[in-house]
Amino acid sequence: MSEVIIRPASPFQGLRTWWMMLKISLEERLVYRGDFALGTLMRFLPIVTQVFLWTAVFGATTKTDIAGYTRNDIVAYYLLTMLTRAFSSMPGLSTGIARSVRDGSVKKFLVQPVDYVSFLLAARVAHKLVYYAVAALPFAGVFVLCRSYFPPVPDAITIAAFVTSLVLSFLLGFFMEATLGMLGFWFMEVSSIVFGYMLVQYLLSGHMFPIDLLDGVPTGIAGVSLADVVHWLPFEYTAYFSSAVWLGKVHGDRLVWSLAIEAAWVVVMAVACRIAWWRGTRRYSAFGG
Amino acid sequence: MVFPYTRRMHNSDPSATSAISDPVICVEGLAKEYRVYDKPEGLAASVRSLFHRTSRIVQAVKGVDLTVGRGEFVALLGPNGAGKTTLLKLLSGIITPSRGTARVLGHVPWERADDFRRRFALVMGQRNQLWWDLPAAESFRLHQEIYRIDPVRFERTRDELVDMLDVRRLILQPVRELSLGERMKLELVAALLHEPEVLFLDEPTIGLDVVAQHTIHEFLRGVQSRRRMTVVLTTHYMKDVAALCERVVVITRGDILYDGSLAEIVDRFTTHKIVTLDLDEAPNQATIERFGFPCECRGPQVIMRIDRHRIAEVLPAILGSAGVRDVSVEDVPLEEIVAELFRSDARDAATAAEHAS
Amino acid sequence: MSRYFAIFLTFARACLVRDMTFRANFILECVTSLGWMSMNLAFYLLVFTFTSEIGKGTGWSKEPFFAFVATGLIINSIVQALFMPSAEELTEMVRTGGLDGVLVQPLDAQFLLSMHRVDFSALANGLVGVGLLAWAVPRLDHPPPPVAWLLYPLLIVCGVAILYGFVIMLAAATIHMGRNQSLYDFWFYLTNFSRYPAEIYSGPFGGPLRMLCTFVIPILLVVNVPARMVAQPFTGQAWGGVAAAVVAAIASLVVSRFVFQRALAKYRSASS
Repeated sequence: MSEVIIRPASPFQGLRTWWMMLKISLEERLVYRGDFALGTLMRFLPIVTQVFLWTAVFGATTKTDIAGYTRNDIVAYYLLTMLTRAFSSMPGLSTGIARSVRDGSVKKFLVQPVDYVSFLLAARVAHKLVYYAVAALPFAGVFVLCRSYFPPVPDAITIAAFVTSLVLSFLLGFFMEATLGMLGFWFMEVSSIVFGYMLVQYLLSGHMFPIDLLDGVPTGIAGVSLADVVHWLPFEYTAYFSSAVWLGKVHGDRLVWSLAIEAAWVVVMAVACRIAWWRGTRRYSAFGG
Repeated sequence: MVFPYTRRMHNSDPSATSAISDPVICVEGLAKEYRVYDKPEGLAASVRSLFHRTSRIVQAVKGVDLTVGRGEFVALLGPNGAGKTTLLKLLSGIITPSRGTARVLGHVPWERADDFRRRFALVMGQRNQLWWDLPAAESFRLHQEIYRIDPVRFERTRDELVDMLDVRRLILQPVRELSLGERMKLELVAALLHEPEVLFLDEPTIGLDVVAQHTIHEFLRGVQSRRRMTVVLTTHYMKDVAALCERVVVITRGDILYDGSLAEIVDRFTTHKIVTLDLDEAPNQATIERFGFPCECRGPQVIMRIDRHRIAEVLPAILGSAGVRDVSVEDVPLEEIVAELFRSDARDAATAAEHAS
Repeated sequence: MSRYFAIFLTFARACLVRDMTFRANFILECVTSLGWMSMNLAFYLLVFTFTSEIGKGTGWSKEPFFAFVATGLIINSIVQALFMPSAEELTEMVRTGGLDGVLVQPLDAQFLLSMHRVDFSALANGLVGVGLLAWAVPRLDHPPPPVAWLLYPLLIVCGVAILYGFVIMLAAATIHMGRNQSLYDFWFYLTNFSRYPAEIYSGPFGGPLRMLCTFVIPILLVVNVPARMVAQPFTGQAWGGVAAAVVAAIASLVVSRFVFQRALAKYRSASS
């Protein structure tokens, strides 16, 4: 993405720059014209394998559901995680920040009256909007094709909760990765840390399987399953939570305090990101970078 | 077999046809065209390009004829995009032509026969053929394996080349740690290890400092004459040409504009010589007008361009003028001649394009 | 030809030296691939808490399934170590024109372009695969007969050969398109279908898919045939699988070479 200096003298200036960012992102996407049409659909391919796998699993057992999920539920779940991850995944954010610290390009944000974090956030929103615009058609196509796996459309409250959780997951994903990237102020090689994060994410975000499957996994503490522990961690809110909400697996009281936990994590990570930025830039200026 | 010089393009001198004995490179009507897709500018064009892409055909090489004899040192001279590198790639078999024939050492290059590839070498400036992570010495050994060089000959040739270029202390370092000039020298050593009969050089001195350029010129001259190697070199530096080649092939826009000796270029493409006068003092307007030729004055020095045929009659008069301390008569510098050649050709192209549209 | 083998050894030695020089990076790469693999193993263990078998009556209970996974690890690590690094670099070579230098050398271009770089850290997964196999096989209900152990290495080689053919065809596509396409993405999608035993592909969509991936794009023969050899009871039918694997391997190598040579013949070369 091209580096653009924002001088928000007026809110219109900021908006105009943001609009330009949007256009440039769209053009960049269109350059790889063959890629995006095919590429978006290709991303659904691994789900095909997972569907067959779970069908075989259900076929070999007499139970009608596993941890509350029927076979169709699981298919719908995987499809929904594609959607939720489209909101929360931030490719290249942490490594990009770490790189700009390493090669010094972060300096211009120290000098100019522009907030680096806000700038990154605005850029990500632009990127995401572009992505949704171009991916909407393939996504819609797949979901329409697979509508038989889905339960009936949930009620208005559930839908509202779903949308809220999506927006929160975008912010959560952003602030988590941004904070990770800020570690570049203290560590030369952030890639090992990022790798560790990616690994934990992979396992605990619900990307691989619904977290409810961990209900039966003991933790050594009486009455507490692994699923209970994971529900308090931020990871599941980037993929599992929103999907589970739409499928009606989370409702009533649990829905309310889960949303609260998610919102709390957003705040925590936003604050952490801010603190990391303050401390990091102070350290950076002191050492000359 | 004796091949006559193939017919040259418009500007070349028809009276200089001579037979080439032992031709090593024979090219007839060789042409290469590419289809190039236009890159969209701006958002609307990008969206349109999803559904319909415009393209045009670029003629990189347009029906070229060329014959090179054994032991010749030929320069392909031309501006960027002239097609000289494309021609070289055709002759080394990297790409296949759209039309025409070529034979190098009796082989058709783009068939990429192993026998053929063992008999020539290609060195490209600024592009590495040595294995990046290996020290050069390892690359050389690999070369020996790949080209099946006899071990005794290999050692002798390698030592000889390494000493000629004075790179012995560099061959144990990984290639990526070396400077551009050092890498170029090692590339040349690697290229000559299998004692090729034909050497293709693509802009070998580009990006190198003057000292490195000079070293490489010396080296190439020495090696070429000793082994009677046929060398074809592409460049846009006159310096390379002047230092190395007797024969120059000027290429612009895929066509051969001129094919002959360097000396001839001066004869054929200049109409005047440069006369430099050192006067006692800076001349005034009257003095200048008296000379009657366009002048450039730098203090007491006057530089004039005088028609070559009139030098003999004009010079005595000038020398006889008062206040002339020294005179020198020189050819127009090669760079200028060639640059003007390119410029006039570009002008012709522009007018032709205008008339066509 | 022994000459090609000697040249390959030189390449391999150079890569090993380089990996040992940048030891920390090498170890990190090993840990990375082991990390992803253990996540997947954890997932499989979790699945087996809910069912005793993958697919009714298929015979893929826990130990056979892990033998299957182990076979997959071994085959994929060989391909990732020997061929993928060079293939990945091909996109760069096409972009920078380094491919030109390869084409003028009197050596088979396919060999040079697919084998000049070796990634030793990819072998880590393969070693784990061997360990996993050693754990699973003694616990099988039907231990494999000696002839199965004789055929197993052959079938591993066939699997590698089939995958190699795919690598070459993707490389040919890279040369032809000249664009910086991410080879690993394609590779991931392609090999994704072969992660689990072929029996899971059943039903109105699964059946045809299984046929397609066995006979047209023989991706399912890669891991399934050798895995069945040791994990499932040895029957006369197994010979059919062996024959299919060998035929597919040869076909893959022949077809891919043809496609690759065509791509080289039409090579455009980057403009200077």
